Amino acid sequence: MQTIYTLFLVASILSLVLYKKPLLAQKVGFGLASILSLYAAVFFLSNLNDTLLWKLPGNFISAPLFRLEPLGIFFSFLISLIAFAVSLFSFEYAKHYEKKANLAVFASLFNAFILSMLLVVASDNVFSFMLLWEVMTLISALLILINDGKEASKNVMIYLGIAQIGAFCLMVALLIMASLAGSFEFSTFANLNISFGMSLSLFLLLLIGFGSKAGMFPFHVWLPLAYCQSPSNASALMSGVMIKVALFAFIKFSLLLPQYVQFGYILLFFGGISCIFGIIYALISNDYKASIAYSSCENVGIIFLGLGGAFYGLGTHSAMIALLGFIAALFHILNHAVFKSLLFMLSGNVYNVTHTRNMDLLGGLHKKMPITSLIFFVAALSICALPPLNGFASEWVIYKTMVMGGMEKDVVSRFFFTLSIIALSITGAMAIMAFSKLYGAVFLGTARDTKIVEEAKEVSFIQLLPLGFLASLCIGIGIFMNDIVGMLSKIVLTLIPHTSATPYGFISMPLIAMVMILCAIIPFVLLYLFKANTKEARITDPWACGFLYNKNMQIGSNAFTGDIKKALSFILRYESSVKIDGYFSKAVYTHKTHDFFWEKLYEPIIDAIMVIADKIGVFQNGRTNLYAGYILIYLCLILMFGYYFL
Amino acid sequence: MDFFYLLLQLISAIMVAPLFDGISRKLRARFQSRIGPSIFQTYYDIYKLLKRGRTKSKSTSYIYQIAPYLLFISAAAMLCALPITYGTNAPFLSRFSDIFVLLYFGALFRFIFIVAGIDTSNPFSGISASREGTIGFYTEEVAVICLIVVMMGAGSTNLAFISELIQKGNYGYMIPSFSIAATAFLWVMYVETGRKPYDLAEAEQELQEGVLGEFCGKDFAIIDIAILLKQITVLGFFLVIFIPWRFEHPLLSLIVFLGEVGFLYVMGVFIDNFGPRFTMNKGMKRTMLYALAISCTSLALFIMGI
Repeated sequence: MQTIYTLFLVASILSLVLYKKPLLAQKVGFGLASILSLYAAVFFLSNLNDTLLWKLPGNFISAPLFRLEPLGIFFSFLISLIAFAVSLFSFEYAKHYEKKANLAVFASLFNAFILSMLLVVASDNVFSFMLLWEVMTLISALLILINDGKEASKNVMIYLGIAQIGAFCLMVALLIMASLAGSFEFSTFANLNISFGMSLSLFLLLLIGFGSKAGMFPFHVWLPLAYCQSPSNASALMSGVMIKVALFAFIKFSLLLPQYVQFGYILLFFGGISCIFGIIYALISNDYKASIAYSSCENVGIIFLGLGGAFYGLGTHSAMIALLGFIAALFHILNHAVFKSLLFMLSGNVYNVTHTRNMDLLGGLHKKMPITSLIFFVAALSICALPPLNGFASEWVIYKTMVMGGMEKDVVSRFFFTLSIIALSITGAMAIMAFSKLYGAVFLGTARDTKIVEEAKEVSFIQLLPLGFLASLCIGIGIFMNDIVGMLSKIVLTLIPHTSATPYGFISMPLIAMVMILCAIIPFVLLYLFKANTKEARITDPWACGFLYNKNMQIGSNAFTGDIKKALSFILRYESSVKIDGYFSKAVYTHKTHDFFWEKLYEPIIDAIMVIADKIGVFQNGRTNLYAGYILIYLCLILMFGYYFL
Repeated sequence: MDFFYLLLQLISAIMVAPLFDGISRKLRARFQSRIGPSIFQTYYDIYKLLKRGRTKSKSTSYIYQIAPYLLFISAAAMLCALPITYGTNAPFLSRFSDIFVLLYFGALFRFIFIVAGIDTSNPFSGISASREGTIGFYTEEVAVICLIVVMMGAGSTNLAFISELIQKGNYGYMIPSFSIAATAFLWVMYVETGRKPYDLAEAEQELQEGVLGEFCGKDFAIIDIAILLKQITVLGFFLVIFIPWRFEHPLLSLIVFLGEVGFLYVMGVFIDNFGPRFTMNKGMKRTMLYALAISCTSLALFIMGI
């Protein structure tokens, strides 16, 4: 494993060294990244059930130790797998940012980002973990800034701000745990002897710390801002794997605490809320990238539902529920990494040829980009959890966990589990609507803005190759669901020792695929038997009640979600305005959606901080004599403090 | 042998479904003091469609080509998930017959329906695609709440297992939450069949059929069959859970099942014919609230352990 880390470091430095020749650096940097991550993926997959150890040579501060246990190896595998596809994609894609940034820096940051995520997963003490965690955050912030623009610094500041709130909670939690354990090594953290209140508050701190990074509600506000701002390959990595690193760390640390049932309930609660709000905003958004970003919040919610089941199982010592819950969560983590990075890369393809993120200007792209569209269709089916693709497989396991949890006699647990199933099912119904709208508005129908769509053309083969790879993974993971579950259950059994439960009663995905094929034959038999008319169809304009067809007659994304918006108006904020100047000119309809929680939760806090900052600003007024006075007052206070308390 | 019976179940449903539709059309006509078409009219319609030539809209893509088949696949797979001719003793098929498999095949149907509607870029199909999605948003949670009571009560998501458990009387109507759930579930399944006051599968442009405005010829015939199959399946979904009359011999259970479904399907006319028609927001919001309230009552009872 040290070879992999070193090689990534070398690749990062090498591409930085070539900064005078950005195009070469881009080829070298991203090429190396893809080869290295392919190697890393194979390496981690073949050592899936081992424990790997590596001590940093030399006498570095606190002599960091890196340790990978099966769970860590699984996540390292996930990072390398997605990094492979994304870096192969960037090999061509990054060229579009030639004018905005030095590509050598881009490639270097990209390699460093992969390295930092791998190291966070492996680090084994508080100091190196916190350091690498912050490095990961900073590198991702720099990657967002590669796509510099009008709002870029504001978006990055919001991202960094929320990341810092998280990091602060994390630091507090880890320091308390370290002081209780008497050591900074994570391996000594197990079996802490602490009270329920202490354990609960540590758990909440960890949840805020990692949940804010994972995009859990109510910390989801940075998702659409950061992902829309960053280049698509960076957002694919961030959404695909960086938020998974946060989830990994959450699982790792919260398992060190003594377990209580309440942990499960908390996770189920936040998971359910994240699901519903994430998908509502994904549904009503007109910006396809923002829609995909909000759906990250939804999927993190789904993962938290699985984890909630797992922690409930640990709290009540029901091994079966804990096992199923962890399998479900890890399975969905794997699937979400695959299809979400795929969707972000596809949206990058669309953005590069159309230069707009507004769905209402697109349409009819399928004719220009057939392969991108086809892959998008597979990705959309799998994110909507439709059989027989991978999203369905993992959501089925989550449903099974919930049903197992709800069978217990306890009223509280029944309450939470039933509500989470309902949340998940509402999410499912809305995801169908959100992604059918997204796919339909971007790729199908008639072009709304003919100028944009006419210039569009299919991207190069090398850019499509990794997308095809991920799309086939979507299908493959779905069909071979039971093998993946078997693999994951081995990993999970290392997390919850002393259990020998084996998952049973799973559906058989190959059978589902087979029945679908069987059903597919019947219509053809029917057509053959009745000698159907198979003449080529005549091509006409769409029917418009006898009027001349106009492309504006087709449904737009606002009208599509109109009824739902009305029904949900109590939690949504949106403004529509119509601008008409002159009798013969065209009316301009604008439609804006606001994040309800940004207005209610974040803006008051930000305003308060601004006011306080203004007030504090009085002290900094540039008069030297006053500054000398401050120093004097400070010294006096220190002296007094030292005299009385030390 | 299981697969043979499964095929039989599918094919007999395809063959009988147009008859039910014909009978209900005849009955509806009689209510409206018309003579009405022959009860075999739906067969004639489908046959005629198969022979017709087709036109398609300029904007259509591959989705338009594959949508009829995908719709048929999802509806037929939904029907196959109903354990009628097989039970828990079927080693393979019982791993297919799962409540969530059925629900998500329904979702696949809806997804393809919406996407196909947008693809034709016909103004009406867009509106009805939106409508289809919104109906899903309203009905899904009520259906799932009812199913939660069943699944958690029976302790499994396997439809064949639940069906057998309820038929044996180990779990069922003696439990209040179960019997209340039955009411709400029948309501939702009626909505899913796409009839008034929620939808009207054979008329109005802006309703369900609007999506299909641009489909014609053999494509339309296949979609018609798929919609009929879906209507039968959702009613069958109710029957399999709440009135499971199963017999030793697969053929006998199949015949009894088709009889039951036909009865429910035709009886739907009584609601259909006398119900008013609402706009989407008023109709769905107002009427589904009752179903939601009933299902929530059942859920609350279940949570309390009654």
